Amino acid sequence: MDVCRDLLDKQVVDRNGRWLGRVDGVVLERPESEPPRLAAILIGPVALGFRLHPAIGRWMAALERTWGLPKRRPVRIGLEHIVDIGRYVKTDLSSSETDALAVEQKLRRWIARIPGGG
Amino acid sequence: MKKIFTLVLGVVTSIGGFVEAGSISTAAQAGAEFGFALLWAVAVATLILASLAEMAGRVAAVGQRTIAAAVRERFGIHFQIVPLVAELAIDLLLLMAELGGVAIAVMLLTGVGFAWWVLPVGIVVWLVLWFGNFDVIENGVGLLGIITLSFVYSAWQLAPDSHHILSGLVPALPGHHLARYGFLAISIVGATVSPYLLNFYSSGAIEEKWSESDRWINRVTSFVGMGFGGFVSMGVLISSAMVFGPQHIQVNSFVQAAQMFAPVFGPWAITVFALALGVGCFGAAVEITVNAGYVISQSLGWTWGVDKKRRDVSRFVVAYTVVLLLAIAIASMGFDPLQMTLISVALTVVLAPVVVLPFLVLMNEERYVKEHTSGPFGNGLLAVLTIVCSLMAIVVIPLQILGGG
Repeated sequence: MDVCRDLLDKQVVDRNGRWLGRVDGVVLERPESEPPRLAAILIGPVALGFRLHPAIGRWMAALERTWGLPKRRPVRIGLEHIVDIGRYVKTDLSSSETDALAVEQKLRRWIARIPGGG
Repeated sequence: MKKIFTLVLGVVTSIGGFVEAGSISTAAQAGAEFGFALLWAVAVATLILASLAEMAGRVAAVGQRTIAAAVRERFGIHFQIVPLVAELAIDLLLLMAELGGVAIAVMLLTGVGFAWWVLPVGIVVWLVLWFGNFDVIENGVGLLGIITLSFVYSAWQLAPDSHHILSGLVPALPGHHLARYGFLAISIVGATVSPYLLNFYSSGAIEEKWSESDRWINRVTSFVGMGFGGFVSMGVLISSAMVFGPQHIQVNSFVQAAQMFAPVFGPWAITVFALALGVGCFGAAVEITVNAGYVISQSLGWTWGVDKKRRDVSRFVVAYTVVLLLAIAIASMGFDPLQMTLISVALTVVLAPVVVLPFLVLMNEERYVKEHTSGPFGNGLLAVLTIVCSLMAIVVIPLQILGGG
């Protein structure tokens, strides 16, 4: 598999088909005297920011902290939870088992309150 | 039968979505200053837009991806960040221009100063998006857009010499003001081939659940629909040429442009122009606002769609709301919508190569279009387009300095 071509920037879906975001980054592990191997994918603006420029990444992280988002971000999904890589990157987790939709849920509380939002 | 209905509706709505602040102002200026000589630029621009829209629709129908999603996936964030930021900047500028266009239209109808109308117009745009589904946005706004056919009616009534019109469709260099001519030609292309139209079109195809078998609907909608849109733009250019040309009047504002309807609509000229301008710009404002939400959500992999419950797509809703608020805030500070249009048009041209280039790749990969890849004609067209766009991007700023005033 080619990480850049087949994995990065693809749409990630949970086991119920819910969109979690895109593969914004990857985590590589390098065990002693072995070639590096893929350990996890990352989702979220912090991971995406760091890929573009460390300053943007730090800025996004600061933004998320001020906003009181959960500490488990950027969301890290281990390779053992990735069940398929094709049109979508599929995980066997459900969205509630990750913090991928933390922002969505935060905003949802406001949106649902406006008439016509529910 | 339902397909035929979809088709007719698609064609009609394209007419409505086509005519807005940018296309009206550039066509009016070109007609006033160069007669029919720039008709070819409208024709070429329309053809470019129709071809790109057809390809964007094909990626959506066959590959089930919008342009923003496909570009992020295929080229990665390091490339996509350029067209993404560019498209959002152009969306913002254009949105300000369209809000200004509607505000001017309301001012023409009521006599109350235009700065007062930007906020109420913006709120109405938001309400349409909040309470309307995709049918309302696409068809409601599009059907109202039929009023823009008044430009074609006006041109028809002014009885232009068909021989002159035909010669205007053949590109030729003018005897005077070469820089201005070049600038207006490029502006017409920039105003017509707006990136928001392409992503909005492909997002619409997904919202309407097009599948591989809908390719012919896509082909007809894009070419006939956009073709009719170009027809209306030509109506603007011809009306302007017939009315302002002989008196050597330059069009420097929308208020002045309204006078092009005086010979045909008499006492109703201002009213009809205001309705056509207002409806055209309002439709564009709705489409641009929702497109900003589309582009951001699709690039980042969020759930999106105007047919979904708002609370299920909260980030998408917040994204377009923030862009709209930003546009209202800046536009309320007072500015000239015509100037804003010209800046966004120049920016569109500068960034056209990065918008067009991805098509050359996407249209040749099975992942996105299966076996319906571009043939030699489509690829040739895209290659020529990329080169022409790059050349235009290089000359547009010097030309704006030399011939923009």
